[in-house]
Amino acid sequence: MLDAGPASTPDERYLDVVAVRKSFKGVTVMDGMNFRMARGELVSLLGPSGCGKTTLLRIIAGLMPADEGSVILAGSNISALPPHRRNISVVFQNYALFPHLTVAENVAFGLRARGMSKADAVQPVREALALVRMQDFADRGIAGLSGGQQQRVAVARALVVRPDLLLLDEPFSALDRKLRETMQIELKSLLRDRGITGIFVTHDQEEAMGVSDRIAVMNAGRIEQFADPSTLYASPATPFVMDFVGLSTRLSGRVTGHDGALSVVQTPFGTLRAPGHRPPGAPVMIGVRPELIRLEGGAEMNRVDLVLEDVAVLGSKTMLQGRPADGARLLCELAGIRNGKARGDAVSFHWAVEDTLIYDAPDGAAA
Amino acid sequence: MSPARADRIGLLVVPGLAYLGLIYALPLLLLLLKSFRDATGAFSVEEFVLIFGDPLQRSIMARTLRVAFLVTLLALLIAWPTAVVMRRAKGGWLTLFLVAMILPMSLGVVVKAFAWSILFRTNGFINQALMGIGLTDAPIRLLFTETALVIGAANVFLPFMVLPIYAVLQQQDPNLPDAAATLGAGPFYRFFKVVLPLALPGVVAGCAFVFSMAVSMYVIPSLIIGERQQTVAMQIARSFLFLRNEQLGSSLSTILLLVAVSVVLLSSWLAARLGARS
Amino acid sequence: MTATDRFFRALCWVVALAVVVFMVLPLVITVLVSFSSSQVYTLPPPEWSFRWYQALTRRAGLREALTLSLNLALISTAISLVLGTAAAIGVARGQFRGRAAIATFAVSPLMMPGLVLGVAMLQFFREIGLHDAYWSLLFAHVVITLPFVMRTLLAAMGSFDFALVDAARTLGLSYPRAVLKVLIPNLAPAYLTGGLFAFLASMDNYPISIFLTDAFNRTLPIRMLQYMEESPDPSIAAISTGLILLAVIALAVAARTVGLNRLVQG
Repeated sequence: MLDAGPASTPDERYLDVVAVRKSFKGVTVMDGMNFRMARGELVSLLGPSGCGKTTLLRIIAGLMPADEGSVILAGSNISALPPHRRNISVVFQNYALFPHLTVAENVAFGLRARGMSKADAVQPVREALALVRMQDFADRGIAGLSGGQQQRVAVARALVVRPDLLLLDEPFSALDRKLRETMQIELKSLLRDRGITGIFVTHDQEEAMGVSDRIAVMNAGRIEQFADPSTLYASPATPFVMDFVGLSTRLSGRVTGHDGALSVVQTPFGTLRAPGHRPPGAPVMIGVRPELIRLEGGAEMNRVDLVLEDVAVLGSKTMLQGRPADGARLLCELAGIRNGKARGDAVSFHWAVEDTLIYDAPDGAAA
Repeated sequence: MSPARADRIGLLVVPGLAYLGLIYALPLLLLLLKSFRDATGAFSVEEFVLIFGDPLQRSIMARTLRVAFLVTLLALLIAWPTAVVMRRAKGGWLTLFLVAMILPMSLGVVVKAFAWSILFRTNGFINQALMGIGLTDAPIRLLFTETALVIGAANVFLPFMVLPIYAVLQQQDPNLPDAAATLGAGPFYRFFKVVLPLALPGVVAGCAFVFSMAVSMYVIPSLIIGERQQTVAMQIARSFLFLRNEQLGSSLSTILLLVAVSVVLLSSWLAARLGARS
Repeated sequence: MTATDRFFRALCWVVALAVVVFMVLPLVITVLVSFSSSQVYTLPPPEWSFRWYQALTRRAGLREALTLSLNLALISTAISLVLGTAAAIGVARGQFRGRAAIATFAVSPLMMPGLVLGVAMLQFFREIGLHDAYWSLLFAHVVITLPFVMRTLLAAMGSFDFALVDAARTLGLSYPRAVLKVLIPNLAPAYLTGGLFAFLASMDNYPISIFLTDAFNRTLPIRMLQYMEESPDPSIAAISTGLILLAVIALAVAARTVGLNRLVQG
């Protein structure tokens, strides 16, 4: 969780959230929250509604006070500073553009608020608008702008003040899918080019994977794993992360013994082997990424026999789903269009033992 | 819907429209026209010249306008904080505020004006309270003063200032002040550059309501300020009910009408301008 | 939140609470005075008593005034509801130009000085030969109530989905029946609020009514003012208390069915 490494440099500790605690009406939503990122990084806080990602964002921005703990930015403790003194810009989910001001006046707002004269602000505003390709809209009102246009104005407004940190609260959620993908690429390269340090808050794992250097997967006020996208995908630290980031085949079982360096696990679908040693009798959960599953395999691989419940042809891939039972999920992803399989066929899923993910399941139930 | 059907539906407005046209607009129009004619029926502004030339009438009009301004100002000053608090109030508190606004609004002017006439009496509650706290030794003469009138009128008209402002504040995106803050705007800048401009349509509407009601109020001044200090509305009533000088009454009515219409038009124009900034 | 923010927030709360007292005080005083045994309006009263309520039975013309006011309020509100529904549908669904202007016109009486309307109507009715006070009052009170109804109905119809009416017609209802069975029940809250405010406005009206009354047709507010001028005593406070009770009940019913926030909007 903590990227604790040997003596990190100041740049690596650019934003340091230390031991933050927050409760609402007596309910503690966050405790001992530690979070650190490096200058120039693009990080996502990823998690379902209510996991605390927006709370953390608002605490960092100063819009909400933490009960305990501190926020340190570029070496100075900003915990006691109100938001207007923090030089942290926020792009809100609904963009929060000022309806009584034109596009240019919106972008100039932060500069004017900091004392810049109208004349001095003209040039930076023009540059900021050009950066997001909205310069032709400078004197227009907000009312007629589309979602994508509003978002670009909001970004220009946030960047023109040269913030030390940029926070974005679900900035793409109001856009339709095609636009979302375009804007993600645009925004990412925009921020990269200028070396902006940014935090995205999102519940969409594809979005997080697309824009971030690292992703903090959050659940119920805790960061379950904070790593780069490929690590999160290939080696999820907990069942929650495994389920939230990407799809998986999932089975519960019990350890019955060992086979060399592997554990032998008894599941309703047969005996499987997984890396690592766990005490015999321990309830566990087994997982594997669907694209690592094949319909044929050797005896040294894990194997599960099942009847197909559904075959979904999605163009670039085909998803085969087994009949669900006891909280287990059986999902296989095959590349391309596979018309050969149909609902009701009896098939076998095979995968390499070393691709198997295994987790403790303390309450015996599938996580 | 077919065009023919739509036209038939459009005809539904006719009964209501005709009624208002006949019983509301036509009488007003006739009043307007009549006040610009003299006894022979020719066009004449003689009555108006007489009115504006009469120092008594002028002082009455000045007093009426002055009182209306003061009432509007007082109402605005106390309505704004109230609306702000109401916007963030929850549950029981919000109910309390809403009831405090709506209940008096549902009662008539007569009930409230009577209540204030009791309150302002020499031996009335306010004097008793003031003496009780120790602010004065002897009862202050409150009744029949302009101060009492302004306070009483502000009380009666306050909901008409609070509710429009409250409505506008409620519609405001709560993220806007936050956005302003993250961009570097301190509390005063936020208020003057974001909160106030966006609330202005409600403020303008509230001021227009209250001013036009205050300028034409009759019952409240009758009970609180009495015969000695007249307002234009009291003059109008007197001229019809007691003086039998209908010319004066009609002309004063026209003046009052024009003031009311101007206030409405001005506030609509202002509201349109504020909204059409985009 | 900075210290400045907290300070202003506290200041606003002080003012707001003072305003609540300011608004409620006159009503509370009125109720208290009505139960006082003393003729003079001192508080606290020397003794509690019902004498002023009993005195009401001896008040000349009170029952007639109450009856007249209720009569005018109910009938004029009913007429306004009908005219208003038709007009609001016409504005909401019609296709002709000037619909916005008609809507503004329909609501404009609210902005006019009541006194001026009273004067204008008095002269007009005389001109056309209408001398009957009751009918003059009734015609005038429809003008008083209609804007309240229109305001609420226009807003409600603006957000009503007329596809529901069309759906009813595809199921076999004629247009009028569809309106009756689908539109009106759905708009019930608006009818309640609009009708309530219209009713109260008519009950309370003074400035227009004063010009149209005669010796035999005095509405309640006019009677009350007459009592205040001729024989003031706390029995007037008793009448007021009755009206306050009526308003409280009406508001409680409306709040329970429609919700206070809706009342505010309408």
